[in-house]
Amino acid sequence: MGMKFTIPTRFVSPLGFLGMLTFILFIILGITGAFLMLWYEPILDRAWDSVENINDTIPYGFHMRNIHYHASNAMVMMAILHMYYQYFSGRYKIRNEILWVTGILIGVLTILEAFTGYDIIFSERAELAISIAASLTNSIPILGPDMRAAFFGSGFHDFILRFYAFHVFFLPIVLIGLMALHFPRFMVFDVPMVMAIAGAVMITGGVFPVDMGLKFDPNVPPGITVPEWYLTGLYAFLRSQYDKFVTGVAWPGLFIFTLLIVPFIDRYKKFSWKDRPIITAIGITSIAQIVVTTYWGFYIDPDRTKSLLERLVIDPIFLYSVMIALVPLSFGFTYLMIKLVKNAEANAKKQPKKSEATITLPEKWIYYVFVALIGFQIYLNIAAYYAVLNGMKNISLFIIGIIMLVFAGMYHLYRHGRFNANNPPAPTIPIREKIKSDEQKSLEDSSIPKDQLSYENQTKSKGLLNTLLGKGKKSRTSFEKMWNRE
Amino acid sequence: MSGQPASSRGDKVSRRDFLKLLAAAGAVVTFTPFIDWGKFLPNPAGSANEKGKVELPDGSQANVKTFKVNHSEAIIYPKSDDPVLNEEAFRTWQFIRLPSELGGDKNEASAFRVYSMVCLHLWCLWKYWPGEGRKRGECPCHGSLYDPLTGKAFAGPASLQSPPSNVLPRLDLEVDKDGNVWILPPNWSVNGNGVVGFGRFIT
Repeated sequence: MGMKFTIPTRFVSPLGFLGMLTFILFIILGITGAFLMLWYEPILDRAWDSVENINDTIPYGFHMRNIHYHASNAMVMMAILHMYYQYFSGRYKIRNEILWVTGILIGVLTILEAFTGYDIIFSERAELAISIAASLTNSIPILGPDMRAAFFGSGFHDFILRFYAFHVFFLPIVLIGLMALHFPRFMVFDVPMVMAIAGAVMITGGVFPVDMGLKFDPNVPPGITVPEWYLTGLYAFLRSQYDKFVTGVAWPGLFIFTLLIVPFIDRYKKFSWKDRPIITAIGITSIAQIVVTTYWGFYIDPDRTKSLLERLVIDPIFLYSVMIALVPLSFGFTYLMIKLVKNAEANAKKQPKKSEATITLPEKWIYYVFVALIGFQIYLNIAAYYAVLNGMKNISLFIIGIIMLVFAGMYHLYRHGRFNANNPPAPTIPIREKIKSDEQKSLEDSSIPKDQLSYENQTKSKGLLNTLLGKGKKSRTSFEKMWNRE
Repeated sequence: MSGQPASSRGDKVSRRDFLKLLAAAGAVVTFTPFIDWGKFLPNPAGSANEKGKVELPDGSQANVKTFKVNHSEAIIYPKSDDPVLNEEAFRTWQFIRLPSELGGDKNEASAFRVYSMVCLHLWCLWKYWPGEGRKRGECPCHGSLYDPLTGKAFAGPASLQSPPSNVLPRLDLEVDKDGNVWILPPNWSVNGNGVVGFGRFIT
């Protein structure tokens, strides 16, 4: 399996390399996690205290922990976005089935990894999660009790130690193995996007620093806690108090199984979401159901006069009726959207083509902006240093995030300047027309039917992508190589 | 020889297939002993083969002659030498002598109950309340109530859970001729003594 590795010379839409960003977050998590291992103690009575020690006493421990926490959330988010992008663009076809299947497995393991991570803090919320996970495992017919004894051991002491082992070794090693299988033939490493995602993680950490929660004490009534956002969907089902195995194991299992077999049931010959209405509608339905249940899992009746049970329990009939009602709604919405988009495209064809607008910065101004950005960076560095000195940890984390973002901008500017230097702008009309007609020709020469080139439609509507694909010859040819490979 | 087809020799199994069969059998035989190694994963600490003492918090062994009727104590089972492990919620049990109306006056094992203190709902530690009108196990967290006679939750969130998650795990007791109370070796399954934090089927 030959792999093509690209560092794009122009801005590329990050949708195509969300998977790469997920991987970058995995690396960030590996590094910060390795450092956290130096201080964390996976022992019954010390786990929570050691996390508190990291958070409050160890210099930069707060930073490490926050980056680790927010990067884990970002990784789950990126993995989900990556999956849906691949789903709607039909990229799991053309012998990419193995990538899709390994991708789903990686996604499931990523959520398990994040889950074991927040459990080993052993706060009240972690205890809730552990107790639910253990009872769900136990509820599996026949194998359940043995599986629980094998994976969880007996008691909290075993749980923490085992979840720690899973979190830092077993799951990551399996993830790395699956990632080696998952590597695509075409990979984009976009430095500004990588810096931007790292910066975004740090900014989120600065603005919403993760709290410690309360140390779990089995003699103290816990407050109302909900799991992390990627599990509240499942939590909503569990809160319906219906049978544990069905709600907690069978439904998510069915969901994962459906995702796994999607490439084998999708018989459409085309790639675009507009040409695969049923598959698209199933995808939209799943998104609608995930969004609704995720919100529902978070929602707890604020009326404190009611009993806790009344506030927590979701009426199963109501929940399941909503889930069922979402199916025709999503299907209707999808078919309507496809119709509207196709109409709009047909209308757009009749209109004369607009020439796309591009921003070109004169060479002199590139230097000015660059120097200004470096000056800004120096100021931010000093500010971050002072914030650390004054004990304002979250502000320093926020500023470091901004520094990463500014670096992303600087790299983009550098890239822009270099591109301009290599391709001196001579936008006389005859040459541009010539380039365009050449492109048209090369497209028609390719063996793929026009409607299968999903990016081709986009070039007509999107100026940004047009500039990318029209001028960035490198990426264009790579794309074509990818699509032509049979 | 080597180019000769197997059928011409009249054999039903070719040499190659026979070798494959031997290789497969060899592989199976080689790895068979490792099947039992799956026992590496579950924690053996809880599976005692001998009777254990009911050790009260003051260090003495519970005795039918001295233990008060309608009274309870938290005991640790199985007890280890490690104080951290002894704090483990999963090792805390409620040792109850039933009130007299439920047969607590008899000086025999049937007057006693030992239930896991881990509430079946969300694993808080419940406790027996002997006061008049209560005489039941109560969980401080979400108010699950347990019947001391059977260990079954009769109110609160734990009572809404489907079996086996509505009945507390229970240890079997034995009283010797001196009146000392012993815990019999448990069978940690939902059909036996139950699974701590999960439940037990009432047999």
